[in-house]
Amino acid sequence: MLMVENLSTSIGGTPILEGLDLSVGAGEVHAIMGPNGSGKSTFAHALAGRDGYEIGGTATLDGVDLLAMDPEARAAAGLFIGFQYPVEIPGVNNMYFLRTALNSVRRARGEEEIGARDFLAVAREAMELVEMKKDFLNRSVNAGFSGGEKKRNEILQMAIMRPRLALLDETDSGLDIDALQIIAAGVNSLRSPERSVVIITHYQRLLDYIKPDVVHVLVGGRIVDSGDHTLAHYLEDHGYANFVNHDPDSAPGRPLTGTAS
Amino acid sequence: MTAQVATSAHSNPLDLHGADRLDDVSRPTKHDDAWRYAPHDLLARLLFGSTTATAQQAPAVAVNRIPQLDGPRIVIVNGVIDVDQSQIAALPDGLRISTFAGSATEPTDPADDVDSGFAADAFLIAIERFGSGGVAIEVTDGHHLDVPIHLVDLVAPNQTRNTPSRSAVVRLGEKSSATIVETRIGTGPVFGGLNTRTSITLESNAALEHILLQNLPETQIHLGRVEVSQHAGSTLRAHSFNLGASYGRVAYEVHLLGAGGQADLSGLYFGTGAQTLDQQITVVHSARDCTSRQSYRGVLDDESTGVFNGGIDVRPGADGTDAQQSNDNLLLSDRAEANTQPRLEILADDVACKHGATVGQLDDSALYYLRTRGITANDARRLLIDAFASQAVDNIESDAVRAWIRARIGASHA
Ligand SMILES: Nc1ncnc2c1ncn2[C@@H]1O[C@H](COP(=O)(O)OP(=O)(O)O)[C@@H](O)[C@H]1O
Ligand SMILES: [Mg+2]
Repeated sequence: MLMVENLSTSIGGTPILEGLDLSVGAGEVHAIMGPNGSGKSTFAHALAGRDGYEIGGTATLDGVDLLAMDPEARAAAGLFIGFQYPVEIPGVNNMYFLRTALNSVRRARGEEEIGARDFLAVAREAMELVEMKKDFLNRSVNAGFSGGEKKRNEILQMAIMRPRLALLDETDSGLDIDALQIIAAGVNSLRSPERSVVIITHYQRLLDYIKPDVVHVLVGGRIVDSGDHTLAHYLEDHGYANFVNHDPDSAPGRPLTGTAS
Repeated sequence: MTAQVATSAHSNPLDLHGADRLDDVSRPTKHDDAWRYAPHDLLARLLFGSTTATAQQAPAVAVNRIPQLDGPRIVIVNGVIDVDQSQIAALPDGLRISTFAGSATEPTDPADDVDSGFAADAFLIAIERFGSGGVAIEVTDGHHLDVPIHLVDLVAPNQTRNTPSRSAVVRLGEKSSATIVETRIGTGPVFGGLNTRTSITLESNAALEHILLQNLPETQIHLGRVEVSQHAGSTLRAHSFNLGASYGRVAYEVHLLGAGGQADLSGLYFGTGAQTLDQQITVVHSARDCTSRQSYRGVLDDESTGVFNGGIDVRPGADGTDAQQSNDNLLLSDRAEANTQPRLEILADDVACKHGATVGQLDDSALYYLRTRGITANDARRLLIDAFASQAVDNIESDAVRAWIRARIGASHA
């Protein structure tokens, strides 16, 4: 479904990602873990189409070249990014925003738009999923939301957009355990054979609730190791020290526990 | 400078070049703060004089009615009341509308109680000398009009008389309330303008919502002044939408004369092309415990210029004044320009006074966020511009007027 090969990204000549490879099959859940500053968010934004990167390599979703498209076209192609730092947009009503977003991708796909009334039903269902109160819809997008509310709003958007591939960037950071469980339950209920999920995190905590098929370690702009969910526990116990300054083309930076994908 | 003109206005008529043009001495110059951004070359080409154009000569234009509200309507074509298009028969209880010829400030006209302490300028004098007349609107004590009164000016200039000058005199009696919408539209490729004066008196505890929508074509110039005298406990909510004309000037001068008055002024200006949209706002606190707000927002694209010149004048004795002013501008192009000039003069005690101004651009991270949700770059821009502008529209009381203004703003900047 998602195929990333030799992806490199630099900003103003400074390399951030340096030859990242990742392949995510339909229905799979992958986790990407890595220390602060290793390039996890840069990866998410390079896929989403943020301006200001010099980009090399390829990234395709269902065989479609993502890197050639505008951000909105990538969304229409089925990509969804859950932002680490969701943007506050004062004055733009959340409900209106959500409906505009859904109808924009529907229009781009040649599908019929959804009227206000039908959309309300869609939104209600999605809100139950993330246990969001009704008044959320009438507020401005993320404006004045608490950290946890912003993250829930991201999952709400995912539930409404129903993407082919969702890439959730540190959706768990800053959440208490109740909020974490709500988010995890939301993501789990959206798991399906047609939908893949990539979870970026630097704690294994979330992975106790959303069990990944594959865990990748991102250090220094590359995937330096991949394994099953036990790799997350290894990282929790040992940190990333063994991977830093390690040449990924030689031996693995840890005892072999999982299967490389 | 302008004050000198004021003192001489009645006793010493202007020396005019020809019959109807303001001469170089009378016209304001770039050195007058209030006229710094005006197109002085174009102002020199305005031809006043009692217009000979009549309603019949004007092209038939479908006047913009407020949907769902078919209330009292006064249509003024080239400064002359167009009876056919107006709707001033069978007025609701408590509303009187009459028309008058000539100046509104002569002793015989219906507005002899108009406060004369307002700053004058050459264009006000043009109204007084050459004005075609106007309309007087009176709401009697204790009456609440729930249907807005719509005043529509239509400008269709010709080569010899290109700038109608007209007055409107509004008086709200004690404890009465009303909504007045003034719309200025125009037609035709000929250069010209509109010169208006609206004089409003709010008696004690009266409440007025005043909405001004300026949408002249870009061949024209708009000089609009609104003078308000507020007595004790009265409330003004003014919303201006300064959208059209090559030079669109909207000037409010509000005098808070009685204790406990409230003046809440807000406005939106939306410039494209080479437009200059000029808001000249002054609130004078002359009585205790009055509250005033000035909240103006500009969206400026292309090479347009926005001007906000906002004065808060707290006179001796106006203790307990609470006055605020804000001006926020959104620049959509790097050739657009916003100019803010606050003027604060505080001569009383126990005064709370705040003012602030911002100039910004569309938030790139918000645009990006919206686009990652599938919203096109164009739609995302519109969404953010609307969000910025909507504050000015949101606080209009009347649902119908709000929806109509929203549609008009959308239509003129699609
Ligand atoms: N706009 C930017 N300009 C310059 N450097 C940046 C920019 N954004 C991120 N970086 C740098 O790129 C590296 C990776 O950042 P990021 O992708 O946010 O890491 P992570 O999400 O893994 O913590 C960091 O060293 C960061 O400082
Ligand atoms: Mg990050």
